[in-house]
Amino acid sequence: MFQEVIIALSEGFLKTLQIFFITLVGALPLGLIIAFGSMSRFRPIRSVMRAIVWVIRGTPLMLQLIAIFYGPGMLLGYNIWGTGNFGRNAAVAVAFIINYACYFSEIYRGGIESIPRGQYEAGQVLGMTRPQIFFKVVLAQVVKRIVPPMSNEIITLVKDTALARIILVYEVIWAGQTFIKKAGVIWPLFFTAIYYLLFNGLLTILFWYIEKKLDYYRG
Amino acid sequence: MKKVIALLLALVLTLGVLGGCSKGGDKTDMEYVKDKGTLIVGITDFAPIDYQENGEWVGFDADMAKAFAKRLGVEVEFKVIEWNYKINELNDKGIDVVWNGMTIADDVLAAMEVSNPYLKNAQVIVVKKEDADKYPTAESAKDLQFVVEAGSAGEETAQANGFNYKSAESQADTLMEVSAGTSDASIIDLLMAGATIGEGTDYADLAYTAPLNDEEYGVGFRKGSDLVSELNQFFKDAYADGSMMETAEKYGVQESVIEQ
Amino acid sequence: MALLDIKNIHKSFGGTEVLRGIGFSMEKGDVVAIIGSSGSGKTTLLRCINFLETPDSGSISIDGGEIFNAEKSYTDAEIRKNRLNFGMVFQSFNLFPQYTALKNVMLAQQLSISRGLPRSEKEKELERIRERSLSLLNAVGLEDRAGAYPCELSGGQQQRVAIARALAMNPAILCFDEPTSALDPELTREVLRVIKELKTKGMTMIVVTHEMEFARNVADRVIFMSDGVIEEDGAPEAVFGSPISPKTRAFLSRPEL
Repeated sequence: MFQEVIIALSEGFLKTLQIFFITLVGALPLGLIIAFGSMSRFRPIRSVMRAIVWVIRGTPLMLQLIAIFYGPGMLLGYNIWGTGNFGRNAAVAVAFIINYACYFSEIYRGGIESIPRGQYEAGQVLGMTRPQIFFKVVLAQVVKRIVPPMSNEIITLVKDTALARIILVYEVIWAGQTFIKKAGVIWPLFFTAIYYLLFNGLLTILFWYIEKKLDYYRG
Repeated sequence: MKKVIALLLALVLTLGVLGGCSKGGDKTDMEYVKDKGTLIVGITDFAPIDYQENGEWVGFDADMAKAFAKRLGVEVEFKVIEWNYKINELNDKGIDVVWNGMTIADDVLAAMEVSNPYLKNAQVIVVKKEDADKYPTAESAKDLQFVVEAGSAGEETAQANGFNYKSAESQADTLMEVSAGTSDASIIDLLMAGATIGEGTDYADLAYTAPLNDEEYGVGFRKGSDLVSELNQFFKDAYADGSMMETAEKYGVQESVIEQ
Repeated sequence: MALLDIKNIHKSFGGTEVLRGIGFSMEKGDVVAIIGSSGSGKTTLLRCINFLETPDSGSISIDGGEIFNAEKSYTDAEIRKNRLNFGMVFQSFNLFPQYTALKNVMLAQQLSISRGLPRSEKEKELERIRERSLSLLNAVGLEDRAGAYPCELSGGQQQRVAIARALAMNPAILCFDEPTSALDPELTREVLRVIKELKTKGMTMIVVTHEMEFARNVADRVIFMSDGVIEEDGAPEAVFGSPISPKTRAFLSRPEL
């Protein structure tokens, strides 16, 4: 029994990890684009970006998943995701990447806006271009400032992956729950906590290490 | 000191676990229910079996449960449960009886004391209305992508027919899948299908096919409970005096009632 | 011909006109001190010269060539090229905190290495920049702190690194915006000593300052600004000794001086 549970939960957790990494790979850069959009000097872009961020952060991810996956079929009468598992995974990726990109974008924006004007001006008077100032002067300082809030958000993401089961993508919680239905035993469900704790423990150590690495300077 | 605390903690935990498993002393289940004066009935929202009307639980099972509680001389209390946890709820005494159109199956018989069957049910395939004519039999539906409620009779049917299926958390979720086109077909209870899909519902675009198999509903008590014989007697009496049929007619399930 | 010629600079923020027609010129090797109470517009003038603000009207010429005229528009690239005529030292240093003192001095030079160079050439160029930067740090007395991060340096040391950094781009004119306002007297002295040394080497400088002692002893010329105009402009002895304008007299006789 124990072995059977471990195998099933591990399979489920692989799916959890897949959702986690795909979301990060998509949302980290997309968040930066949204952050620039929401700071754009061109007002319409700024307004649209801020409205998107408002809607995405203002509604539950669970609802966004349902809307993205079932919406096309139920409202438009045309299901874009097909009936296979690939479509479900793709819908999860789209919903999670958009949702997390919006959260990340606000953290980026806060980080970028907290850099003193003097840093930009010092770069300007030395004849640097805008991209040079951003990438060579500002970015490293932003990274240092956003590591703590980003680590928070990323650890939340690990746990949010459990929502994927709403559209029948079977991650670790689902794997635990099936034992209640199949065999009437609850402990596998609670045992999933071990997986989350171990993985989040790893992430915590990683972020601690990054923070320490960036600790060589202040400001 | 630490050791003493640890020991106490271990003791408390052990007692807790044992308490959860024991049947509660020497009293029979009927005495237990009569002593506390309420019969707690575990249900889900499942028209026309157990559902709410003006804040009150009604339906074929709900009305019968009220009559049974009256016969025992206790109050009835309906408690909505997570269907997957029904056995845990029963054993933890969160509820006294599962009375919610429960299909009698091997796992149910193994974990509960189950009454005589009282209602016939069947599993039906739900598809988009425009496709309904294409799938008159289980054989014709072999290539469809199915979705069924996890742990339901529908899942067993899907397995028995060798269908390719995904499991969802509830029958209602499976209907959403079919409606959105993210799955081709679902398998649900005929009684539920009759009440929730087709003309005049939110799922007017869905239809269901001929029954795949026959099954029967039973009422579940704690293992070894003496309430089950009392209920079987109650069913016999209610069938004999016509009150069972009367209730069935009220909810449109008279065709399905099983002779007691 | 004058090295720097500024004509009729106007600048408003919102409805407030901060600069109301500033014009002056200076020769190569001149050290000009700009004094005046806060709000008189002296910092804004310096920021206009460095293109951190765009004047509403007026023009700026270097060696007789016009590099700015408010009537015309300039691309980012043109502005970048033109502002390299000037170096700027800020009141709050604005060193890049994530880089060592040496890297702060090297960074802008490094970024100006042409991308097209072959790798070996690039490395040679980098080595040249490193040596040049070390000698600039040497000139401000900080060669032994080249590897230190800004947070490990005192305010005076940070400002001296900032001066070396500004010199790295070979400006024709070095501007200082109240370079010692954030420093206590002892640290102020070490920064002023560096500026004095630059003067002996012939550096052309504009220094916005509150240090009257410094303006009197080091500057070749003192400009007193008040309410966005130049109220008095002359040799230190004249401005401090026998000011013409009543506003200058009032400013110089303030008790806190």
